Amino acid sequence: MNGYLVFARKEGTEIVRTWRIWVLPSIVLFFALTGPPLARFTPELINALAGEQLGQFQLPPPTYVDAYGQWIKNLSQIVLFSLIVMYGGLVSSETRSGTAAFVLTKPVTRTAFVIDKAVIHSAFLTLTLVVGTLITWGVTAAIFGEAPARTLWAAAVLWLVLGVFFIALMTVLSVLIPSAPGAAGAGLGCYALLSIAAIWEPVRINSPAGLAGEAASLAAGAAIPSPVWAVTTSLAASVALVWLAAVVFQRKEL
Amino acid sequence: MNAAIEAVGLTKDFGRNRALDAVDLCVEEGSIFAFLGPNGAGKTTMIRLLTGLARPSSGSLRVLGQSVASADNAVRAGIGYLADVPAFYNWMTARETMRFVGSLYGMTGAPLEQRAELLLDLAGLGGVRARIGEYSRGMRQRLGIAQALISAPRLLLLDEPTSALDPMGRKDVLELIASLRSRTTVFFSTHILADAERVCDTVAILNRGRMVAQAPMDELKQRYSKQKILVEVTGGAEALATAIAGSAWASSVSLGPGGVIEIAVSDLAAAQHAIPVLLSRQGAGIERLTVEELDLEEVFVQLVDGGRP
Repeated sequence: MNGYLVFARKEGTEIVRTWRIWVLPSIVLFFALTGPPLARFTPELINALAGEQLGQFQLPPPTYVDAYGQWIKNLSQIVLFSLIVMYGGLVSSETRSGTAAFVLTKPVTRTAFVIDKAVIHSAFLTLTLVVGTLITWGVTAAIFGEAPARTLWAAAVLWLVLGVFFIALMTVLSVLIPSAPGAAGAGLGCYALLSIAAIWEPVRINSPAGLAGEAASLAAGAAIPSPVWAVTTSLAASVALVWLAAVVFQRKEL
Repeated sequence: MNAAIEAVGLTKDFGRNRALDAVDLCVEEGSIFAFLGPNGAGKTTMIRLLTGLARPSSGSLRVLGQSVASADNAVRAGIGYLADVPAFYNWMTARETMRFVGSLYGMTGAPLEQRAELLLDLAGLGGVRARIGEYSRGMRQRLGIAQALISAPRLLLLDEPTSALDPMGRKDVLELIASLRSRTTVFFSTHILADAERVCDTVAILNRGRMVAQAPMDELKQRYSKQKILVEVTGGAEALATAIAGSAWASSVSLGPGGVIEIAVSDLAAAQHAIPVLLSRQGAGIERLTVEELDLEEVFVQLVDGGRP
């Protein structure tokens, strides 16, 4: 147990003391701050750019729903892509640099090494998402004068489940593929496959494939099928992926 | 005496390349054991097997009484390890690294701080505040030795511990290793034979994955001993060399610059009796006659070169 705690503390400190503290929070905070104003001024921007081409067509006045939609869309595209690229070397960067061998010749199990990484980086994502969502909520309320909390947080939690699933996926890919760009490429491939699989309804409502779409629908205030199965299978798949990563890592020579 | 390391028929293949070939090894607890071999002999592979970073293809390997295949944290808690190219978290300082490593061994509070302080001072890193990313290779190696000792391990595995050190650093590290005798089993790989000769009790020589010799240092020298005699004469060196070459006790004779005759002898006593007689027969005046022992380097070259195609 000691090995789990000490290595987890190291992993947390490493986030704070290296580039990791800047990349993900910067991206998330940027979109949290700019999303609501962008949603507010989108009609004016389109009018200014399209001019007379719009003719009689009138864009509806923007509301908080547009700000929420913008936030979830940014999370599901840019932030998720960043996550995949960032975590392509989650484990392999340590095996390549020799720090994994440095740690794993001490009383720390390989299982602890892998689990700690997945858990601490999921916690980091959660914390970043909470701060980003709070900012989106506050800025939306300031701009639109209305910002119901429930829909925004429900959509954010649903997306968080997807984010955690991708961290688990990148954990296993970074164990299997020694090159960080290679693992990131494989992660993006999985993202594309999931997006395609989401076209088929049973997959969309019962697996991680539909989480991004459901989060976007929730943010837009639309009714969605119960997300219980999608959340359950995503969390179960995340646990299974981390377990698989630990099993594969056990057999790997360093 | 118990064995700290016991390998039987240990073999490691990397694809078609056999890095270790049926190696048998026994390292007694409390000994300082040098693992010698030329580059690519399989020394680092052996240490990686001992630490559990790699798995044997066949054979058995026991460390501190437990099979490496099933070694758990309890076994690793008894081992200190220095890699050939030590890797650390570059964002940490030396002190933070010592605290991190000590914590992994379950050390906390004042005992950890005191031990870290002591070892950092011993490694010459006591006053260094910089992050490890700014360290030279020598500083990394010193830190590597310090962290390997943090838990006062029963078994210390050192892969080329002095290779990046300056002469003073080398001397300090060798003194440190010597001071651990009988308290800690030290297993270190090196190709610096003078280091091994200086501190170790037992030597194993590995060549192209095969164990070519394993014995206590003195026994090894004795076993491969072919003492040599150097004779310097005032005149007639060539004739004397020819006369010696015909003697049964002389394995080889060579005439060096300045008329120095170098004789490898198989029977020292017979040579010591015969050489003065031959000198007087040739009418040569003696200037110098010395008997020299083979050092470890010569034994090493003899064993390793003997295996070359």
